[in-house]
Amino acid sequence: MPSIETNGLTKRFGDVVAVEDLDLTIEEGEIFGFLGPNGAGKSTTINMLLDFIRPTEGSAEVFGMDAQRQPEAIRERIGVLPEGYGFDDYLTGREYLEWTIESRGADDDPDELLDLVGILDDADRKAKGYSKGMQQRLAFGMALVDDPDLLILDEPSTGLDPNGIQQMRSLVRDRAENGTTVFFSSHILSEVEAVCDRVGVMNEGRLTALDTIENLRENAGGRSSIELACASPPSVDGLGDIDGVATVDVDGARLTAQCTDPAAKVDVVRHVDDRADVVDILAENTSLEELFNQYTGGGRDGPGTADGSGADFGSDSGSGSGSGSGSDSQEASA
Amino acid sequence: MSSASVVRKDFRGARRSRMLWASAIVLGLIAALLAYVSGSSAGTSTETVQSLFRTLALIMSVLLPIVALVASYLAIAGERESGGIKFLLSLPNTRRDVFVGKLASRLTIVAAGIGFMYIAAISVALTRHGAFPAAVILGTLLVTAVYGATFVSVAISMSAAAASKSRAIAGAFGSYFVLVILYVFPVVQIPTMVRWLHTTILGADPNPDLYNAIQYTSPYLAYRKAINLVLPADQRQVIFYSSLPDDIEYGSAAANTELPVYLQDEFSVVILAFWLVVPLVLGYWLFKRADLE
Repeated sequence: MPSIETNGLTKRFGDVVAVEDLDLTIEEGEIFGFLGPNGAGKSTTINMLLDFIRPTEGSAEVFGMDAQRQPEAIRERIGVLPEGYGFDDYLTGREYLEWTIESRGADDDPDELLDLVGILDDADRKAKGYSKGMQQRLAFGMALVDDPDLLILDEPSTGLDPNGIQQMRSLVRDRAENGTTVFFSSHILSEVEAVCDRVGVMNEGRLTALDTIENLRENAGGRSSIELACASPPSVDGLGDIDGVATVDVDGARLTAQCTDPAAKVDVVRHVDDRADVVDILAENTSLEELFNQYTGGGRDGPGTADGSGADFGSDSGSGSGSGSGSDSQEASA
Repeated sequence: MSSASVVRKDFRGARRSRMLWASAIVLGLIAALLAYVSGSSAGTSTETVQSLFRTLALIMSVLLPIVALVASYLAIAGERESGGIKFLLSLPNTRRDVFVGKLASRLTIVAAGIGFMYIAAISVALTRHGAFPAAVILGTLLVTAVYGATFVSVAISMSAAAASKSRAIAGAFGSYFVLVILYVFPVVQIPTMVRWLHTTILGADPNPDLYNAIQYTSPYLAYRKAINLVLPADQRQVIFYSSLPDDIEYGSAAANTELPVYLQDEFSVVILAFWLVVPLVLGYWLFKRADLE
């Protein structure tokens, strides 16, 4: 049975479509990264899984139970780090954690958990007065209580310092090794790459990609580039005719070719080497940031909207709307 | 059963609320002061203490709604705005648990406030007058607790229906105005307004029973009439003069029995029950359907 399954999940707020026709299946034991720019519909989706908000259409199931009909049974088995939480009672960090343990009927040791998330020294201060990062640590500690079967973490690294982020990642990995399914959202790619088995990319309420990072990279294709340093300015004649080469730029003795097919790089090297003296080679695959931009059309700050469904991206990404890679050199041929 | 989880968190926080302790002390002082100055009237000490609790009830009729509304109006809306509800509902709790738990905790807090006042009043009355008219004291305590509960019910329900603190505040102010102020201030009173509407706009003959029936829908008047049920006949208040024949002697049993059934003291039970139950049903229904963001 999948840990999370949504079918045609849709949420509209008036005229605004927050999530549209989302079909998502997360298998047991997976670490799933839910990626997307701000306002892409990630939190809305998570809030529907938790029954904080109700879908307009479609359904959401957690462990085969309907999110709206059996929220209590679902909550028995999940640990949540929600978005937009607040510590507003006159309770200390330890008391919040103790309350969570009591409410779950768990037998965790509060001090052990506080130590795990790194706030043991501040446990007896009011949680209200914690910094954002410390509150985030406490909330994460509360999510870990009773070793849940599924962890739902909404932007878990928000406000954390680099140490905190690493600590959180290694905790997530540890829990996943023990069979916990982890579903977390993020707008930071490196974070997702570091821990996730699989990622889903949301943009403007739609799932634009769903795969492993490697496959996404492969499908996004065209962003492989090769840079050749030559003894003298090389000629570019015929380079653009090679299959899989999208653009060729020359800047002095330096030649850069962008390839839609990574295999074309070798042909570029051979071609140039026949005509000039190559002294250095630098090959690069799509960077995560470029990948992110490709699947989200540059996010909120992009020039346009990413094109519909994920399937389109493999073929025409070279001419995609907002590649946003910051390439500033002139194109010699196309 | 997990509304206990909600109550636990609420209590732990409430215990440390300075505002709550301050209000409890102020209430206790008011009651003690009232009990202290009550000795001047004539009559036996039992009658003095009886009339003390009658006066206490009169003060409570306008003060207790404020206490109950203030204690409850942010119970759910505050958690919604601050995000505390995200934690409540991430644990194995349902929305019903949150609603019931908040209701239970605020009822307890308001009941504790009333208890505080009664303890203060009883202690001073005992030391000064040495009398403990149990029927009147316990009777008014019970009716007062029910009256407090109706306003907790109203406030919790509006708190559950409000998406933000500001709306909850507006709701609390509004309900105090509509349910209490409009029956207390001499100029803008519900019966006066209804009478004007009825006789001027509709051009009908004055009908005091109708005006009284309309103002009897307020929990404020229902409380004052319910207090009559537990007072000795000669201490009862006559509230609907206009519906009584001229030759009725105030303080006689006939001052109540001569009224139509729907204006009698006994009918206040129905009105209080209405205000206890109906807001809760509505508030819960709205809360269950709401998107909590």
